[in-house]
Amino acid sequence: MITLNVNGESHQLDVSPEMPLLWAIRDKLNLTGTKFGCGHAMCGACVVHLDGEAARSCSIMVGEAAGKKITTIEGISGPVAEAVTHAWQSLDVVQCGYCQSGQIMSAIVLLNENKNPTDEDINLGMEGNICRCGTYLRIRRAIHQAAKALA
Amino acid sequence: MANRNLYRTNQRLGARPGLLIVLLIVLGTGGAVWGQTQSAGAGDSLAAWGKIVTVLQHPRCLNCHQLNSPLQEDGRRIHIPHVVRGADSHGVGPMRCGNCHNDRNNLTSRTPGAPEWSLAPVSMLWQGLSSGDLCRVLIDPVRNGKRSPEALVEHMSSPLVLWGWNPGPGLEPVPIPHAEFINLMKVWVAGGTACPK
Repeated sequence: MITLNVNGESHQLDVSPEMPLLWAIRDKLNLTGTKFGCGHAMCGACVVHLDGEAARSCSIMVGEAAGKKITTIEGISGPVAEAVTHAWQSLDVVQCGYCQSGQIMSAIVLLNENKNPTDEDINLGMEGNICRCGTYLRIRRAIHQAAKALA
Repeated sequence: MANRNLYRTNQRLGARPGLLIVLLIVLGTGGAVWGQTQSAGAGDSLAAWGKIVTVLQHPRCLNCHQLNSPLQEDGRRIHIPHVVRGADSHGVGPMRCGNCHNDRNNLTSRTPGAPEWSLAPVSMLWQGLSSGDLCRVLIDPVRNGKRSPEALVEHMSSPLVLWGWNPGPGLEPVPIPHAEFINLMKVWVAGGTACPK
């Protein structure tokens, strides 16, 4: 049995330590806000937070997440998360929406570490979050807006 | 004592003389390597370096001994997604090495992994160096993490370096078996860490 702390709740799961964390989150805990994209840590749709850091849950294994604080899109809270989600809504960032939970999770980590990111900081930090709808310009604007709101 | 041990071994292997012959060959090879290590001269050292450098310049090592961004795979293309060094050589913001790489290879996502997965420090930039220049960087304590020659030998058995021998599916391991590589390192050090011009 492996114990995972997800969104402040402890869960005992009878799974292999090598199972991708994403499978445990979606299939065992039914938290489906985190999406499966490429399965190879290359698109960012599956980003969650592990002890406050971004983690691609299709690649990070359950055994490595055990003992850490896991936060999914369903569990985000605090001023940065609020500023980001508010900016996302006010600028109507989302098109199809499939990648957006990963985008928001990465944007929160970016702003936690960099209160006033430049365009280049945003480009580098969000580089691994792919959006097939091409909402990159709106995402960048929303991150700037959230940073301004937090200043 | 050695004879008695050999005798006992012989008794145990009595019904399998072929095994005894193999054992003697292996022991003999080990002795030859040990003797070579003890009496290595500059010529032996230089010859050993000629093999060592084929490992250090292999994509498994060189791909992360880069200036700002790692390379990937045997074809040595730029890392996808694009990642940069950052202040601690582990990336920036939501694009840190440990965000995707585990402490071991992930056979499901095929993401390679080992403890302390990161770019090598800037002082250990090996990209574009000739064999001789790489050799001189490696033995320079200012650029090699203040390592003595003996510490360099030890470093070649650290978990991140060992990954080069076990890179997981789809990636070619470094070209010389680890035990043989360590013996070459010892010969290179014993002969004075000789470097080509």
